[in-house]
Amino acid sequence: MSALGGAAAGGEGINPTGAVVGIVILLVSIAATYALGFSIVPLIGIIIGGALIGFGVHFVPVGGAPAAMGQAPGIATGVAMLAAGAGLAGLFGGAWAYEATGDFAVAVAGGAVGGGLMMAITCLMVNATYVFAMGIPAASGKVEKDPITGDTFPEYKSQGTEGHGLPFVSFVGGVIGGFIAGLGGTLIYIELLDVYHANLPVIMQADAAAIEPLAISLAGIFAIGFFLVNAVLAAYNITGTIEGPHDPKFKRVPRAVIGCAVASAFCGFISMLIVMNIGM
Amino acid sequence: MTVKMEASEGGMPHNTLMIYGIIVALVGTYLTYLNVVTGIAVFSFFGGIGAIAALWWGSDTIKHLCSYGLGTGVPSAGMIAFGAGAIAMIAGTKFGIFSPIVTLILAAIIGAVIGYIANNIINMNIPVMIMSLVELAIVGAMTMLGFASMCTGTFMFNGLVIGGMTLSMEPAAAAAGGAQTFMVTVLPEFAGSLIGGAALAVIFFLGAIALQHPFNACLGPNESQDRTLMLAIEVGFLSMFVVAVMSYAFLDMMSATVGIIISLIGWIYTYKQYIALSKRDAYDWLDSKPIREVGGDQ
Repeated sequence: MSALGGAAAGGEGINPTGAVVGIVILLVSIAATYALGFSIVPLIGIIIGGALIGFGVHFVPVGGAPAAMGQAPGIATGVAMLAAGAGLAGLFGGAWAYEATGDFAVAVAGGAVGGGLMMAITCLMVNATYVFAMGIPAASGKVEKDPITGDTFPEYKSQGTEGHGLPFVSFVGGVIGGFIAGLGGTLIYIELLDVYHANLPVIMQADAAAIEPLAISLAGIFAIGFFLVNAVLAAYNITGTIEGPHDPKFKRVPRAVIGCAVASAFCGFISMLIVMNIGM
Repeated sequence: MTVKMEASEGGMPHNTLMIYGIIVALVGTYLTYLNVVTGIAVFSFFGGIGAIAALWWGSDTIKHLCSYGLGTGVPSAGMIAFGAGAIAMIAGTKFGIFSPIVTLILAAIIGAVIGYIANNIINMNIPVMIMSLVELAIVGAMTMLGFASMCTGTFMFNGLVIGGMTLSMEPAAAAAGGAQTFMVTVLPEFAGSLIGGAALAVIFFLGAIALQHPFNACLGPNESQDRTLMLAIEVGFLSMFVVAVMSYAFLDMMSATVGIIISLIGWIYTYKQYIALSKRDAYDWLDSKPIREVGGDQ
């Protein structure tokens, strides 16, 4: 929340002009990648990964500063921090699994489990803090009943707040969100790593084994960059806070998926330029 | 916007600040090229100065962007700036002597695309959104490039990815006359470099924290531009100090020490200035003493 006020923008619908221009940017990025002689399969993987990150962030119960004061439900920090935490945990898990097994499916699953596990631990400890340290029950302000357990909220909700704590549906949303975002981040990492593995030895004229640390570092740093860009775009879409999949703001998700796919396509195209022989 | 907020809107115009920021960041990064010209690496610290100029300008951009109430907090702006900037910076370093300029242009393009996505696809509808994200992407890229060139003494891709050379000796096959001969080849070693060793990730977060902190710390009805920007320079020097420590791994002893001394002097000076400005803006100032050790039985 900005302390300086001003109306937050938003609305629910898709801006048709913007979406069409975005899809054109996406197609141009794919075409440019193809024209430069790269395979477009890695770029498609990056686009799917970016869209998954944008989609996953919408599940995560982000509470922001009001949640820290017990005035809104969710985890008491911003999207950038939560997404970075879940994404990096997923990325580490996936990168390690890829290193250990070399298997695409195991690595992507490892990344997803890493992200989901990190969010599960976070949600558990957040709820322990809320219930046992702050002494507040979990109650959502956006819905009357928990869609999963059927627990009712209004009688537990304090007056003047939007709810507080972390209801079960938000907990489940957090785990799903970490799972999907970790999967997307790992997908981006593995696609980039494969591109660099194949092309860096050629343009650096070096041994494939010697170039290994460079390929891993480059793919890792790029994956962090992609992750933060997509997570913040998704955060802009939900204007900072969301309770989980039951929140009305969840309906805005198509916009974020389109936006994150376009951003990933363009940034993915730029990241391919690294392995282009420019002659300098 | 309250009346007090408007009172703090004076100071240097944002465009002037942006021009100074771009020029000093570019010139500072280019001055590290003196390392190549003169053959000694003591000019590396200019990269840090360039990075601080970029952070100084970026703090003012964040102030403009975040005063519209994004809802996501100030740190997210720093994170998207460096996420976009990292991609532009690594791709930009491929272009040899033109790297800083290409980095700037690439960052501007990426920032424009992300700004368009945020403003028109995600429907933020904030007038300064596209321009701010263009500026922030440039700030992120130039800060990383400045710190990277300070750390390694160069802004070119090969210097950032090759950590050293190892000699590989293999027995030459079918040596004539039974004499023991070896084939000696020079192999570049990548794991000990700035990017290969992933030390760039540290620079990434050092810069991101330095960019997001000043306005996050100073915002409020009593915010004043000179105090925020002084804090930006102060945290910039603090990040520069860490980069100078990291540069011991890549530069010679003297060059790294020059970086440490300059960043320490800069940090102490700007810290004192910042405290003075805070005292000026504060209603009252109570200097709490450190907790004293109580002797005896207590």
